[in-house]
Amino acid sequence: MSKLIATRAIRGAHKLVARAEKELKRAIEEKGPQTKVEFPNTGYYLPISHGIIGINIETLEGLQELLEEAKKLLPPVPEKKLWVPYLGHTLDAGMATLFADEIIEAIKYTQEPLPYLPEPNPSDNQLWLGAANDIILRERGIEFVDGTAPGFAACVGYCPTNEIAVKIARELQEKNLYVFMSAATEGKSMAQQLQEEGIQMGWETRLVPFGDDVTATVHSLGFATRVALSFGGAKPGDFQRVLRYNKNRVFAFVLALGPVDDEKHAQAAGAINYGFPAIADTNIDQILPTGICTYEHVVSPVAHDRIVSKAIEVRGLKITIAKVPIPVAFGPAFQGERVRKDDMHVELAGQTQPGFEYLTLKELDEVEDGKIEVIGPEIDEVTEGSKIPLAIWVDVAGREMQADFEPILERQIHDFINCANGVFHMGQRDINWVRISKEAKHKGFKFEHFGSILHARLHGEYGKIVDKIQVKIYTREKEILELIETARRVYQERDERLAGMTDEEVETFYSCTLCQSFAPNHVCIITPERSGLCGAYNWLDGKAAHRINPTGPNQPVNKGKVIDAVKGQWKEINEFVYNYSHKSMEIFNAYSIIEHPMTSCGCFECLSCVLPSTNGIMTVYREHTGMTPSGMKFSTLAGTVGGGVQTPGFIGHSKHYIGSKKFISAEGGAKRIVWMNKALKEEMEPMIREIGKQEGIEAFFDMIADETVAVTEEEVLEFITKKSHPALSMPPLF
Amino acid sequence: MKTIAISGKGGTGKTTITALIIRWFSDHGKNSVLAVDADSNVNLNDVLGVELKDTIGAIREEMKSLAGELPGGMTKQQFLEYKIQSSLVETPKFDLIAMGRPEGPGCYCYANNLLREILSAINTNYHHVVIDNEAGMEHLSRRTAQKIDCLLIISDPSTRGIRAAGKISRLLSELDTRVQERYLILNRVRKTVPQSVKKAIEDEKLKLLCSIPEDDRLLGLDQKGKPVWDILADSPVYQSVDRMMKLMNFKR
Repeated sequence: MSKLIATRAIRGAHKLVARAEKELKRAIEEKGPQTKVEFPNTGYYLPISHGIIGINIETLEGLQELLEEAKKLLPPVPEKKLWVPYLGHTLDAGMATLFADEIIEAIKYTQEPLPYLPEPNPSDNQLWLGAANDIILRERGIEFVDGTAPGFAACVGYCPTNEIAVKIARELQEKNLYVFMSAATEGKSMAQQLQEEGIQMGWETRLVPFGDDVTATVHSLGFATRVALSFGGAKPGDFQRVLRYNKNRVFAFVLALGPVDDEKHAQAAGAINYGFPAIADTNIDQILPTGICTYEHVVSPVAHDRIVSKAIEVRGLKITIAKVPIPVAFGPAFQGERVRKDDMHVELAGQTQPGFEYLTLKELDEVEDGKIEVIGPEIDEVTEGSKIPLAIWVDVAGREMQADFEPILERQIHDFINCANGVFHMGQRDINWVRISKEAKHKGFKFEHFGSILHARLHGEYGKIVDKIQVKIYTREKEILELIETARRVYQERDERLAGMTDEEVETFYSCTLCQSFAPNHVCIITPERSGLCGAYNWLDGKAAHRINPTGPNQPVNKGKVIDAVKGQWKEINEFVYNYSHKSMEIFNAYSIIEHPMTSCGCFECLSCVLPSTNGIMTVYREHTGMTPSGMKFSTLAGTVGGGVQTPGFIGHSKHYIGSKKFISAEGGAKRIVWMNKALKEEMEPMIREIGKQEGIEAFFDMIADETVAVTEEEVLEFITKKSHPALSMPPLF
Repeated sequence: MKTIAISGKGGTGKTTITALIIRWFSDHGKNSVLAVDADSNVNLNDVLGVELKDTIGAIREEMKSLAGELPGGMTKQQFLEYKIQSSLVETPKFDLIAMGRPEGPGCYCYANNLLREILSAINTNYHHVVIDNEAGMEHLSRRTAQKIDCLLIISDPSTRGIRAAGKISRLLSELDTRVQERYLILNRVRKTVPQSVKKAIEDEKLKLLCSIPEDDRLLGLDQKGKPVWDILADSPVYQSVDRMMKLMNFKR
C-alpha cells in the first residue's frame, strides 16, 4: 500500500488523539473527574472501548484510560526517507482514531445545551441525532441480522450539488441500506444538503444524521459494535469476534464525499478494522486487496452515478430483493399455469416467431446492475392477440461468477418467468415460448418486467455468485435475427463441453429408483458417462429431476473415497446402493460386467452378456426377437438379468452407453463386442466406427458379427477368428 | 376444476357424447374446457371438427428416439412440457389434447411419470376437463393422477352391453382411481328400455342416470361429412345431453 495514504491516516490519528487529550483535560478541569459520561439510554457504556478493549467507562476520569490506550496504539508518522509495511500501522492508527473520537463525542454529552437530539428523528431546529439509544438499536439492529437491511453507508463530507446528494441517498435507500451521515467538510455535510432539499430524515427513513463533527463518524462504528455485542454474541473486549462479525455480517462501507483531509483518512482507517472499505469521489490514494476487507480497502476516484454500485461491489454486498417488483402476483404456485389462447393478450416467440434466451458473463464494469431495456415495441404497443418475436438477453457479472455457471443460470429464466401470474413460459434457448394474459396486461404487466423478475430472482437465488445483472428484452425481429447466431454458437460450445463431461470431474452421481415398483431392490446409479439403463435418463436429467423434486426417486449420491478406479467403485456409492437395494447389494462396480455389475430393473434398452469361448461379449436390443448366440432370446435373457439381481457376466444398459468410454471399461471396453443384432449394429454404426478409430482398429465395425453371419457362439468364434477380432488377444475375461 | 370421464365399450357412442358435452359447456358460456382424447383410435378431433397437431404418444416416441440428444440442451422434462403444451389444439370454445397410441416395447416408466405430472399440471388450468376414454381404463389408472368427479359409462341398451359396462365399473374399483360419482348412460335407445336390460343394470349394480335416444340427425351430419359439433340444439340427442348435464348438477 502507498506510504502516502498511510501517512495521512496516521497523521490524522495523531491530530485527533491530541485533540481528545486537550478536550478531555479541559473537561476534567471544568467539570471534575467524577462527572458522569454516557451515551444516554445505552447499555454498552461507550461502545467502542467496551466492545474492543472491554473497559467500562462511566466518568471523565475513565476516559483518561481510553486516552492512554489510544496513545499506545498510535504509530509513528512515517518518515520521509524510510519505508516500512504500513498496513498494521494504519490499522492501529485507525483504532486509535476511533478511541479519540469516542472520547470527544462522550465529552459532548456532558455539555449544556446538548449538541444532539436524543430522538429517532431530527426536529426543525436540531438536525444531529448523535448516538442511537438501545430502543433504536434493538429495532434497527435486528434488521442487520435478519437481512432486511444488509448494512449501512457511512457518508462523510458533502456532494458537489444537493441534487447529487439526494440521488445518492435515494439509491442507497433503494438497496435497503442505512445512510449514516457525519463529518462536515468546509462546514458542509450531506445531511444538511438533504435537509435543504426537504428530505425527511431519521431512523425511520434510514437516513440518519449523526453529527457534523468528523468524530461523530464513530457513532456508525459504535452502532456496528453494539450489533455485534447484542446480536452476534460477542463478549466485551473480544475484539476479534466483534470485528469479524462485522466483516462477515454487516455490509457497511464509507463513502468519502468531497475533499478528504487527514482526519477523514484516519476515520477510513478505523472502518477498515471492521472490514468496511472506503470509496471516494475524489482522487485519493487507493488501498487494494490486502486481506482485511473482503476485496479492495480504499477505492477512488469514483463518479457519483457509479459510487453506490461500486461501493456495493467492493464491500461484496449481496443485493436481495424481497419482493419481485411487478404488478402481478409472483410465486411458484403460478408455475404450471397455461395462458389459454382466448385469455391471451400477446404471444412471444413460440412456434411462429423467432426468439431465444441467452445469459452471459461480463466484466463487472460492463454491467450496470438493475438496468433493463426493451428494444422494440412494449406490450401496450402491440394489439391484442398478436404474435411477436422475443429475445431475452441477460448480462451478469460477479467476482465469483464463472462461465460454467452460465447455462445453469440461463435455465432459470424459465422457472422464474413462469412464476408470474398470467405469464406462461415454455422452453429455453432458441425454442422459447411466452404468453401474457389479458388480465396481466390489464394489471400493468410489461415486457420490461421480464427484466425485473430476472434481476430480483437471480440476485435472490444466486447472490453468492452474481453481483450485477442487466437485462435486454428484444421484441423486434431485426435485432433478434442479428443476435441469434451469436447465441446459437455459444449453445453449441456449451453442448460440446457438456458432452465431454467425465465421471472423474463430478463429485456427485444421481440415483434412480423410479422402477422400484417393478424391481424393489434395483438401484440405478447414473453418472455423466453412464446414463440410466432405460436410456431415458442421463446425469443432467437426474440432476434436474432432483431439483424439481428433492425427495423424489433421483437422489444425489456423493462418490466418496475411491475404492477401485478401474472397476468404478466408491465408498459412499456402495453404502447408498446397499441401503437403497434394501441391503441386498453390498458392492457395486459401475464399469464391470464381470464383478458386481449394476443390477437391472428390466427396463433396459440393451443387454450385454459374455460369450465365454470368444473372450468377448454380445449386445442385443429389446426389439430383436430372434435367437442370439447366447442360446437365449432377448425375452429369456431379460428374465435372467432383470429384477434387481446382480448377475455376473450380464448387464442391462442404454444404447447410448455403448459409445461411452466407461462402457465395461474394467474389461477393456467396447472392443470386447463380438456380436450385435444387425439392426442395433447399424443404428450404432457411427458410434462403433468412432470406437474403432479411437482404439486404432479401423475395421472394427466389420469385425463384429451379427445374426446374418452367426447365431451360435461357435459361429461367432469362427467369424471373429477369421476377422482377427481384438477380443481374442485381450486378457481372459475370467 | 371438474373432471368428467366418459368410458364404455367401443362403438357405444362415447366420442359422440363427449363431443356433445363439450358443445354443451360451450353453449353455456363455459369455454375453459380441456377435451382429452384418451382413446388410442384418436377421433375426438373429428367429431369436434378440429385438426390435430400431435399426440402425446408421438411425442413420447420422439423423446425416446432422441435418446441423449435433445434440442437446445433441454432436460426431458422441459422438452416434454414444451412439446405437449404446443400440441394442444386451441379453439375459442375449448382446447384439445390427444393421447394417441399407447407405448410400444421398452421402458416407459420415466416418460409416463413425466407425462402424468405434466398432464395434471395442464388440467388444473381449466374449469372443466372432459376425457374420452379407452374401453380399458388404462389412461385413468396410469396417466391421470387427479380425481374424477363424474364417470359416465356408456352402453347400448342390450344385456351384453350392460354386462360389459359392469365389468368396466368393477375394473375401476380395483384400479383405485378416485371417482366421485359413477353413472351408466344408455345410448341409442329406441323408445323404451327392455325389461331384460333393466334387470341386467340391477344385477351389475349400476346407477342409470339417463337414456339418450337414437337420433337420425347424427347420421345425417355424418353423411354430409359434418362434425357432431354442428348438431342443432333442438335435436333429441342434444336435448338428452342437456338433461343429463343438469342431472349431474352442471348449471347454466
